[in-house]
Amino acid sequence: MSTSWKQLLFQTVLLLISCRPTQTKTSGPTPPPLVPISPLSTAVRSVVLEGDSHTEKVELENPVDLELECVWSGNLNNLPNVTGVWRKGGDELENSRLAVPLENEKYHLRRVFRIVSEENLGNYSCVFGNEAKVDFILAAPQMGEVRDKPIVSYVGDSVVVVCKMEATKPKPLSWNWYKANGTDKEQIIYAAESHQYEIKDKDWTSKLVVHNLTEADSGSYHCEAVYALGTTMGHVELKVITLWEPLKPFIAILVEVVVLVAAILLYERSQSKKKCSGENGTNAEQSNTL
Amino acid sequence: MTSSEPKAKKSGGGGSEAAEDGDWSWALVGALFVSTSLVFGLMRSLGVFFVEFVQYFEASAQAISWISSTGLAAQQFFSPLGAALCNAYDTRVVVMTGGVLAALGFILASQATCLVHLYLTMGLTSGFGWGLVFTPMVATVVANVTRRRTLALGLGFSSIGIVSFVFNPLFQFLVETYGWRGALLILGGLSLNIVACGALIRPKPRSKAPEKVDSEKSSSSSSLLRRLSSYLELPLLLERPYLTYTAAVTLLNVGYFVPYFHLVAHSRQVGFSEYEAAFVMSAAGASDILGRVASGWFSDLGHFRLIHLLSLWTALAGLFIMLLPISSLSGSYSMLVVISLLYGFCSGALTSLVFAVVPMIVGVERVMGAIGLLQLIESGAGLLGTPLSGLLKDVTGTYTASFLVAGGFVVLGTLAMTTLPHYFSCSDPPAPRRRSHRDKDKSLHLELEQINCAPPDPSHGGGQ
Repeated sequence: MSTSWKQLLFQTVLLLISCRPTQTKTSGPTPPPLVPISPLSTAVRSVVLEGDSHTEKVELENPVDLELECVWSGNLNNLPNVTGVWRKGGDELENSRLAVPLENEKYHLRRVFRIVSEENLGNYSCVFGNEAKVDFILAAPQMGEVRDKPIVSYVGDSVVVVCKMEATKPKPLSWNWYKANGTDKEQIIYAAESHQYEIKDKDWTSKLVVHNLTEADSGSYHCEAVYALGTTMGHVELKVITLWEPLKPFIAILVEVVVLVAAILLYERSQSKKKCSGENGTNAEQSNTL
Repeated sequence: MTSSEPKAKKSGGGGSEAAEDGDWSWALVGALFVSTSLVFGLMRSLGVFFVEFVQYFEASAQAISWISSTGLAAQQFFSPLGAALCNAYDTRVVVMTGGVLAALGFILASQATCLVHLYLTMGLTSGFGWGLVFTPMVATVVANVTRRRTLALGLGFSSIGIVSFVFNPLFQFLVETYGWRGALLILGGLSLNIVACGALIRPKPRSKAPEKVDSEKSSSSSSLLRRLSSYLELPLLLERPYLTYTAAVTLLNVGYFVPYFHLVAHSRQVGFSEYEAAFVMSAAGASDILGRVASGWFSDLGHFRLIHLLSLWTALAGLFIMLLPISSLSGSYSMLVVISLLYGFCSGALTSLVFAVVPMIVGVERVMGAIGLLQLIESGAGLLGTPLSGLLKDVTGTYTASFLVAGGFVVLGTLAMTTLPHYFSCSDPPAPRRRSHRDKDKSLHLELEQINCAPPDPSHGGGQ
């Protein structure tokens, strides 16, 4: 019985020793934990630097283990070792400063980043000494063709506001719509609750249908494509006007046409009057009636 | 109320008498300029609206393109009707009505709630209005301008190209400021200017009036049919020269417009950038305007017969169309631009002449009906030409076959023209006269002239 107690004590002590809380950082990617968790898919982005700096856009939609690689061919005096450092948003990452050896006339700087949430996105840079830099901008897929001209519509009419993600990019998980009223306060649109709005989401497109427009509906409409890692925004302007607006130039043109026609007909009548009165005397009575 | 310059209007005999084209005739040319720009210039610049329609009605681009196809088809289909109405009634009233209808089409279209509304308003109604406007205006200018006829037509038709530089940005601005509904409403207002153009046409005593007096049985169907056929100038269809000419122009129409549809796509396919392809199109368009005016001016100098000049331009146009794909095969951009410029010039040059030749063949009196029927018959060619070229492209993969076939049709049209009677003689044959009772004609004219308070036209009754 004493050996089983000893065994239990020994196991308990072992358990207490191994169960240490792991330190988590609030910023930056989590370094690979001691206990392996479910593996993510991997992706690699490699940039060969020509010149001093380069910016690379990386679009991610799902959590991934992203390996970023920077290759630099150096300058005229290539030292055997150069200091390489990784930065996120300008701040240097812990344990990232190391000496990069020269291999085959090039310096290679590699690091794997675990991207699992929106905080992990941002601007990552690899820096060689103080000379060369590559910026990787990690973001959710950006919207392609967003209409930059405002949509013009009329009071009482209905309008379709469209936000499209390019079909080459991954499909968004869901869409949200917001309305801004000139001030920066955005209000989310709940289509289910209102009679005026209808949201139709299909594959890469989201359409907001607004019925029974009033002038108050003018403003900026923001659409948000939601991905696992983050969201992207796009916006469209809507302008609602009354029928009176185009009617003004229309009436002006109408008046111009009436004046022209009247002038032409009057001129013609006066020309033939001149002829009639100036010529045959027998036609005098006719010119009186004209 | 007739014109105050008796010599300006020539309705009797061939236009070979050197009549002075007075100021009023040039006012008519101005009216042709404005009305043509509001018909065809407008039609060509509707692309801005189509983008909006695709988004608003959630329709395909092809469904939307049917709107302008319907409009063009209606314009060509109703041309003989417009001509007949002018022969039966007053040209001025017909053109003014056409202007009102065209404007009405756009005004109603601004209230459209579904695609079918657009087909009926922008397509059918406006197209019908345009049919009542274009043929009468062209025929009026042809009948009233004699010495500088081709130049007048060239100037009038050059409006299409010139005005597209203005309309495209203007329509873009209108759509951005007022939306497509407001922009269509304003376009309707703009189209009303056609009414002012129509007001410039002065009524003249119709030599068709004797037809009405002749047939004393007024309401029997056979006399009605006879009158109808004379208004529509249907007997023309039985005359070999007119038929030959119509066939030639129809063959011409199958091919000569193909480059405008496919040049940009062809340039892109060969490997040039978007801007280079767009520049090729603009270059062709600009030389088109130049060609219309230059050919008009040159033809009126009288050194050559109009029909010979027309065959020259059509033959060259066909040749350059066929050379287009071959020039781009070599990969040289400047070759492509040069051939496109030459093609543009020739295609513009021939448009001035196409209608100017008509009075040579049918006589000035029948020009109205002749042009109406010509428009109708050549519309079939347009319907055939573009789909055929598209089909050839789909089957062969490149535009080479489309261009070669199009050029071939144009050359065929030229060959058809050479079969016109008296083609190879050095001077124009005498123009045919309408067969009517000469005596009744003369006396009726004297009466009409007294009523309308114009001095008797000395050359009218006796012109050969």
